[in-house]
Amino acid sequence: MSIRFEKLSYTYSSGTPFAYAALKDVDLEIEEGKVTAIIGKTGSGKTTLVQHLNALLLPTSGKLEILGRTISAQEKPQHLKSLRKDVGLVFQFPEYQLFEETILKDIAFGPKNFGVSEEEAVRRAREVIKVVGLEEAMLERSPLDLSGGQKRRVAIAGILAMDPQVLVLDEPTAGLDPQGAQSMMQLFMNLNKQMHKTVLIVTHDMEHVLNYCDNVVVVDTGEILQKTTVQEFFRKTDLLKQLNILPPAIIRTREMLNQRGFHLSEEIMDIKTLAKAIQREVKTK
Amino acid sequence: MNNFALGKYLPLNSPIHRMDPRAKIMAMLIVLIAIFFPAGFLGYAIIAVCTIAVVLIAKLSLNFIWRSMKPMLFMLLFLLIVNVLVLRTGTPLISVLGFTIYSDAVFQTLYIAIRLMLMIIITTVLTATTKPLDLTLGIEDLLQPFQRFHLPSHEIAMMISIALRFIPTLIEETQRIMRAQASRGVDLKEGKLKEKIMAVLSLIVPLFVSAFQRAEELANAMEARGYCPGRPRTRYKVLKMEGRDYLLLAGAAALLGAMLVLWLA
Repeated sequence: MSIRFEKLSYTYSSGTPFAYAALKDVDLEIEEGKVTAIIGKTGSGKTTLVQHLNALLLPTSGKLEILGRTISAQEKPQHLKSLRKDVGLVFQFPEYQLFEETILKDIAFGPKNFGVSEEEAVRRAREVIKVVGLEEAMLERSPLDLSGGQKRRVAIAGILAMDPQVLVLDEPTAGLDPQGAQSMMQLFMNLNKQMHKTVLIVTHDMEHVLNYCDNVVVVDTGEILQKTTVQEFFRKTDLLKQLNILPPAIIRTREMLNQRGFHLSEEIMDIKTLAKAIQREVKTK
Repeated sequence: MNNFALGKYLPLNSPIHRMDPRAKIMAMLIVLIAIFFPAGFLGYAIIAVCTIAVVLIAKLSLNFIWRSMKPMLFMLLFLLIVNVLVLRTGTPLISVLGFTIYSDAVFQTLYIAIRLMLMIIITTVLTATTKPLDLTLGIEDLLQPFQRFHLPSHEIAMMISIALRFIPTLIEETQRIMRAQASRGVDLKEGKLKEKIMAVLSLIVPLFVSAFQRAEELANAMEARGYCPGRPRTRYKVLKMEGRDYLLLAGAAALLGAMLVLWLA
């Protein structure tokens, strides 16, 4: 099973002078059970792409197959609600969607909308608040009194409480401090590894792509430029340069040393192997 | 919401677009007053011809004008029903299910409908051909004489331009929050009344929170750049009336005069 985009196009305000083609004939396959990073410049169509996954946007043409359902221009998706329950979409700056009086109510809001009983929703809220690294005691507080990072965790908890099979995150770490961003990424990794959820992350942070993701999708001006594994993606830095993306520090170090006469393998992607390889070369000289 | 034409600026290049906003605002006011004179159908025909001429000079499509009137159709229908029920004078026209429709009701409705449509077209031409910022500049200048009666003309203009500036932002924000809540299973279209109230609440609360936050940030940003209400300020853009602007004003005045003559004659 996989998520498949077939010749999918999306045009904003089509039929008006403001028409803008955000996605053009996108063919893309995303494996389930993996962590996939979606990267590209601002305005490249990443957000438009992910909003198709739970039918918030319906394609102008082409189709999308996800979790056994088909979404296309012609047929309105059936069981829209069950699709939205199965594909949890966390928007950019999700802290702005909090509205309830207490954190508990806000987290339970999603599952209750999908027909989960009150008790079950509360039970899930108590569970997911710990998953996102907050304390159960906070549940009775107002979500509006929290700090930015805490709010975001609550908002993500609200999506996790829906127990989606596919988790889509649009720049989940934007505006967080480095530690906060790292623990956030670690959280998504755990959800993928332990609970076998398919995770899609829109991100600008190449360090995160290298350290936490399995696959990379590069979007540029509404088209898929490349879809590959992370290993493959960071082997050559030509495409990165062409896209004006700064590679992760380790890759940069490897490339810089190679330019100055080292012969480090392009497979090297972590600090320990890199250190060992450098040591070896320095010794033999 | 993207199809909403009323009050939208259309960046085209036409003589009307290049006119001084003060002239356009004044001309609009004069024509609006002219429309209120009971000059009969001949008068309205004259105004309609002039208005459509201006629409064509402004390079606006008739389709756009039509779309900007669409939101008013419901109101016109409502008006027709009320008039038919209330007005019982003139000659009886037809009788439906024992209920007689009188000629006055039809004429009255037609009268109001034409007035409303003309007013919408004229205001649409103004907003479609004038950048919101130029519009407020014009309003500020036109309110200047009232400053001697302690009318804070600059502050009013600033408030209007801030409000206009944030309309698209708030629309965007609303759409974003709607999508975010839709992802959490909110359905604004279907569901029981209680669920609907909850759905609207899930939209309004975040919208208010972010609007207040934005307002505070904007106030800070303005203060940080030395903005102080009540103090004299220089202006980057200085408005200047030209030949065509006076021509527009003269045309509007002539229209007003014609209506006066038609009314009194």
